[in-house]
Amino acid sequence: MVHRPMRRAFLLLVAALLVPSFSAFAQTPTTLTDTLGRNIAIPAKVERVLSLQPEITRLVVALGAADRLVGIDFFLRNHDDLFKVVFPGQAKLPLVSMANYNVNLEVLAGLAPDVIFGAPEDRNVIEAIETKTRIPVVALSSMGRFARLLEELRLVGRILGREERARELASGFEARLSGIRSRLEGLPHSSRPKVFLSFWNVLTNTPVFYEPVNAAGGANAAEGLLSSYAGTLNAVVPLEKVLVWAPDIILLHGNYPPPRRELTVASVLADRRIASLEAVRRRRVYYTFGFWNWWDFAEVQVETAYLAKIFHPDRFADLDLTALGNSVFREVYGIENGYSTLCRILRCEEWVHGR
Amino acid sequence: MAAKPRRALFVFLLVLPLLVFVASLYVGTSSISPAVLAKTLLSPFVPSWKAEIPQAIFDIVFAIRLPRLLLALAVGAALAVSGASLQSLFKNPLVNEYILGISSGAAFGASLSFVVFGSRIPPQILAFAFAVLAVVLVLLISRRSDSPVVSVLLTGVIVSAFFSALLSLVEYFASPYSLQALFFWLMGNLWKAGWADLAVSLPVIGAGLAVLLLMRWRFNVLSLSDEEARSLGVRLRREKFIVLATATLITAAATSVAGIIGWIGLIVPHLVRMIGGVDNRRVLPLSAALGATVLLIADDIARSLAAFEVPVGIFTSLIGIPLFIILLRRAGKVWR
Repeated sequence: MVHRPMRRAFLLLVAALLVPSFSAFAQTPTTLTDTLGRNIAIPAKVERVLSLQPEITRLVVALGAADRLVGIDFFLRNHDDLFKVVFPGQAKLPLVSMANYNVNLEVLAGLAPDVIFGAPEDRNVIEAIETKTRIPVVALSSMGRFARLLEELRLVGRILGREERARELASGFEARLSGIRSRLEGLPHSSRPKVFLSFWNVLTNTPVFYEPVNAAGGANAAEGLLSSYAGTLNAVVPLEKVLVWAPDIILLHGNYPPPRRELTVASVLADRRIASLEAVRRRRVYYTFGFWNWWDFAEVQVETAYLAKIFHPDRFADLDLTALGNSVFREVYGIENGYSTLCRILRCEEWVHGR
Repeated sequence: MAAKPRRALFVFLLVLPLLVFVASLYVGTSSISPAVLAKTLLSPFVPSWKAEIPQAIFDIVFAIRLPRLLLALAVGAALAVSGASLQSLFKNPLVNEYILGISSGAAFGASLSFVVFGSRIPPQILAFAFAVLAVVLVLLISRRSDSPVVSVLLTGVIVSAFFSALLSLVEYFASPYSLQALFFWLMGNLWKAGWADLAVSLPVIGAGLAVLLLMRWRFNVLSLSDEEARSLGVRLRREKFIVLATATLITAAATSVAGIIGWIGLIVPHLVRMIGGVDNRRVLPLSAALGATVLLIADDIARSLAAFEVPVGIFTSLIGIPLFIILLRRAGKVWR
C-alpha cells in the first residue's frame, strides 16, 4: 500500500512528466501546404507571428492570439477602421510594410517572427521574404470563398495551436449560414432577386462572384461573366450591360469611410443613364460591406444576414440585425457593441432606412 | 496624287467622323435593330413613337451612347489638334499634347481626388486645375531662357517628372481600394460620359478648337524660323502664347473628363501629314477629323469587344501604333 503523501507525490511527478510531452505532441513541427501549393515547414512553437495579409491578421485576433502579433501592415493601420475597434492594441505594434507589400526586410528580420503570413497574389514577394529572412512564409487567402475562408481559419488555428478555438468559430459561422439557408428553404429560383454589385467606387466595376449574395438568396447578375478559378475576380462592364441585365437590386461597396465614397446611393439614384432600371425606380439601391482586403470574419457573417433581410424581408422580418451583429462580434472578437461601433463609423443607419 | 482625287480624299476624311458616329450608334453590348434605333432617335419629334420605345432602349441611346459618342468626337479632335498645334509651334515631331506636363498634372490632381478628398472634390475639377498648373509652371520656369523652345520642352519633361513623382507618392500611401478607381481613370475611358460632362467640356473644347482652327494659316508662319516669322509681321510672343494656352486648355478639358488617352496627339497629326502634306491649313482640320474618328473606333471596340469594358486608352495605342508603323514604312518619313 502506498502512503497518501507518497501517492500524491507520485501523481504530481507523473503529471509533471506528462504535461510537457502532451504539449510537445500538440506542437510537433509540421509541414503544411499553402494557397500557392508550396509545402511549408512550421516550427513546433509559434510565439511570434507577423501577418502581411489583413484577412489573416483579423483571424489571428479572432483566434485569441493577438498578443503574438509582432507588427502590423500599412492597410490595417491606416485604412481599416473596423480593425482599430476590434484590436486597439494594433496602435502599439511597429509598422512593417507599406502598401502593396513593400516590406521593410530589416525591420521584419529584427522582429524575428516564428512565422509570417502573406498574400498569395505575388509569389515573388513571398519567396523573396522567405529566402532573405529564412523565416517560413505561409501564403493564404480566402479569395472570396466561404469554404476557403473556413479552411484558412482552421489552418491558421493549427499553426497557432488554437485548433479548438478555430473549430468554435467555424461552427458558429456554419450555424449562422445554415440558419439563413433554412429560412430560405423552398425558395423558388424565380424569387431570388437579380443583384448588381457596384464595387471599388466605380459604378460598373463588379465582382463576378460574391458568395454572400448567393448565400442570402440572391443571384449575382454578373456571375459567370469571367471564369474565376483562382477566386473572385472583378470586371468593368459596359453600362448598357447593366441595363440589359435589369437588376432588381443594386448593391454599393459600403466599407469605404463615408468621406471617401465616390459612389453613393444618392449619386446612383440620380444617375439619369440608369433611371429606367427597376432597382433605381423602386429605390432598391443599398450599401453592403463588401471586400476590404478580402473579408473580416465577423463582418461577412453579418453582411450575409443583412443581405438576406434586404432580399427577402418577409422571411427575415423578425431578424434584429443590430442584436445579431453585436453577438457575432462578441463571439468572434470578444468585444461588446462591435457591430454598433462599425455602423457608427460607416453610418449604417443611412443604408436602408435613412434615405 | 492628282489634285481632284486628293481633294475628294480630304473631303472624305472630313466627313468620316460623322459616318463613323452614325455607325457607332449601332455598336454596343445590347443589340438594337436599325429600325428601332432610327425610331428611337426620331421619337423626341414623334411623340407617338416614344410610347412604343422601351425606356431601357431610350436610355441606352440618349443617356449612354449619344453623350459618349459626342464626347469621343470632342476628345479625339481636341487631343489631335492640340498635338498638331504643339508640333508645329515647337517644330518638333516628337512633341505630343501631353509634353508640357498636362497628363502628369492631371493624373496627380485626379489622384488627390480619389485618395485624399474622396467625393468632396470630383476628379474632373482637380485634374483640370493641376493640368493647367503644370503648364503654367513650365511657362514660368522657362520664360527667361535664351533658347525658349528647348527650354520649354525640357522644363515640360521635368515638370512631368515632378508630378509623376507626386502621383507615385500618393499611390504609395493610398489604399488599394482607392487605387482601383484611380487606376481605371488613368487608363482613359469614356464610360462616365453624360450630358452634364458634355455641358462643361464641350464649350471649352469647342471654343479652343475654333481658335486653333481659325489660326491654322498662321501655323505655317510659326513653323518658320523666328526671324522669318518676325519679318512677316507676326507678333511671335503673343501668337505662341495663344497657341500654347489654347492647346493646354482643350487638352486639360479633354483629360479631365476622359482620363489619359495616349498617342492620339502624336500619331494622328503624323498620319495626316503623310496623307495630305505639311500645310497646316489642312493639317489642323484633318487632324480634328481623324482624331475624332480614331477615338470613336477605339471606343467602339472598347465597349463592344467583350462582355466587359476595356479602357479605351489601351485601344488607341493598339490601333494607333501599328497603323503608324505601317504608314511610316510606306512613307519613309514623318516630318517634312
